[in-house]
Amino acid sequence: MPTEPPSEEPPEVPLREVGARSPLVHVVGRVVSVRRRDVVRRSDGTKRPLLAGLLSDGTASVRFTWWDPPREDVDRGTILRAVGAEVREFRGRPELVFSWKTRVGPAGPAELPRLDGDRLPLRTVRELEDGQEGFRLEVRVLTVAPKPVSVGEERRVVFEGLFADATGAVAFSSWSDFGLVAGEAVLLTGGYVRTFRGRRQVVLDERAVVVRVEAAGLPEPAEWLRRPPRPIADVEEDGGGEAVAIEGLVVGLLPPSGLVYRCPQCRRVLAGGLCRLHGPVSGVADLRARLVLDDGTGAATVAAGRDATERLWGQSLADVRARLREVEDPAVLEEQLAAAVVGRRLVVRGSASCDDFGLTLEPGTIDAADVDLATAAEELAARLDGGA
Amino acid sequence: MGRREPAWRVTTAELALAVEQERGQGDRATSYLLSPFGARMNRAVVAGTLAAAEAVGREQPSSFWRARLTDPLGTVSVTAGAFQPSAMAQLRTAPAERPAIVVGKLHLFRGRDGVAEVSLRVEALRSVPEAEERATVAETLRQTLDRLDLLERLEHEPSATDATLRGLGFPSPWIRGAREALRRYPETDRAGFRASLRPLLGHVAGLARIATSAVADPRVSIHVDRPRAPAAELTEVDRQETATFLDAVDQAATGSEDGYADVREVLRRLEARGVAGGRAEELLGRLEEGGLLEEPIVGKLRRA
Repeated sequence: MPTEPPSEEPPEVPLREVGARSPLVHVVGRVVSVRRRDVVRRSDGTKRPLLAGLLSDGTASVRFTWWDPPREDVDRGTILRAVGAEVREFRGRPELVFSWKTRVGPAGPAELPRLDGDRLPLRTVRELEDGQEGFRLEVRVLTVAPKPVSVGEERRVVFEGLFADATGAVAFSSWSDFGLVAGEAVLLTGGYVRTFRGRRQVVLDERAVVVRVEAAGLPEPAEWLRRPPRPIADVEEDGGGEAVAIEGLVVGLLPPSGLVYRCPQCRRVLAGGLCRLHGPVSGVADLRARLVLDDGTGAATVAAGRDATERLWGQSLADVRARLREVEDPAVLEEQLAAAVVGRRLVVRGSASCDDFGLTLEPGTIDAADVDLATAAEELAARLDGGA
Repeated sequence: MGRREPAWRVTTAELALAVEQERGQGDRATSYLLSPFGARMNRAVVAGTLAAAEAVGREQPSSFWRARLTDPLGTVSVTAGAFQPSAMAQLRTAPAERPAIVVGKLHLFRGRDGVAEVSLRVEALRSVPEAEERATVAETLRQTLDRLDLLERLEHEPSATDATLRGLGFPSPWIRGAREALRRYPETDRAGFRASLRPLLGHVAGLARIATSAVADPRVSIHVDRPRAPAAELTEVDRQETATFLDAVDQAATGSEDGYADVREVLRRLEARGVAGGRAEELLGRLEEGGLLEEPIVGKLRRA
């Protein structure tokens, strides 16, 4: 290995500290995503290869462009050491350029910057944004449950649940077993934030560090999970949220609702016997109801699953399938479901997400709202007498 | 694709006093009925006692049904047509005089005499136990009082920002509705309206039943002073343009699913024939005033 005078070698910095102020840097990071491209030279029409992707070291993610890379593939997950990388700024964010002046070589996990918790900023749940990393988070575990998943051929267990602090709640999924228990308070270092199906979540992998702490000012799980309903317009303005409660009237039912057939592989609802992903499959019967819940300030779609639908409808999946043979038009069943649910006053708790179609709730619980008319009358009488 | 419009909780009294509209621009624009008390409604929920429905029109079997929904403050007309088959079936088949919750789109119909009448076109309807109907009346009263409080605050503090009002717990759509109400109905007797809400209280408490028969004149009418179309002689150009207009209405109606001519569709057709937007609006106004055209649903025309 050639030795160069140390004065010319820039100091190694974590990616979070890469900025336009130091034009040449020395970094170590893991390739999170990468794509090979060719750029056609304008002068003579020859092609020049490059790799473009995202490099992360746990403190931040930075885009990189690697001109004239080695011919062999650079896989996702590879850890690279780049000495003398150039820093450019694009739309106010730093990017790295590996040129002929940069020495790039493989590195090991131990060479990644140590996640020294004290130097990372402490964030609140409300401040978390998609793609964020390199922060500390002090939260209470509200819920946690193991979930088996298959990643390619491999079978693994992910631990999923909710974290909360005084500013809000957020979903998490942990790819390592940190022995998280509902109710305990933890200080997290080395997680990152991503948005999956419109739902923001904190991801913990094997590099994350979990420390049990004394809870000060953190909400109790029971408190969070039993919060009173909020106006739908407010939840929508927040862009959704976790462990959200809303109360309203069912004012409609969106298709497909009622008896549906799902793909046996991916559980998508079939349309005309076809799965969007797997083509013609033999569908598995299921019940669902996409309820439109309205509280006078806004409306949300509540995606009720089989259990909730059976309870609201008062019909089991078997009942409905039996009735299917008696009715001439299956649409009648959907109308019967609509007649059974429209006008019902419900309290729904769950995880809310927002998109172009408005607010959708994946319900944890759906209950009939309990209205105490005597108390309501007293409260309203006081307000009317108070006058304005 | 827009968000779904909320269903405003309103009483029949508030509907009866709503005479202003806000028409959206462009394709698939949403129109709103504005009440003096801060409701900016495309859709509403009304709870009350629903009477048996009657068929409207000579068609057999009838494809349009109407019923009266009465709450402690008055009555509103509830309608359903053949293009909302399940709503029509619900309206038609249910037994007479039952507590119900009705969700629907609002329509302001202005007759030839300038009398405005609001109706509720059913989207969803359910006969409910009385307790559930009372719970919705309670919710309606609470939200109505909340909206009145918001109006008071805005009137005393016109510079209050949306953020400030949101911080006080008022949802954004209500803030927008309140600002619009103050602009459109600067002189409104809110204290009087507030006092008139009292009968709802007895109903919520279960002390008073809704007396559907006691409502002497179920049609609460608000007279709007609109300039009448001058009875000037029509010029030949006027006559031609009127004929073109009615042709466009007929064509748009023939091509539509519900038998009504969409206003925007009509205006497009007219533009194609050289009748500019401003002139077309003028003609529309004159034809409505003159009783040749009706707009029973906001944005939908038919020949009278």
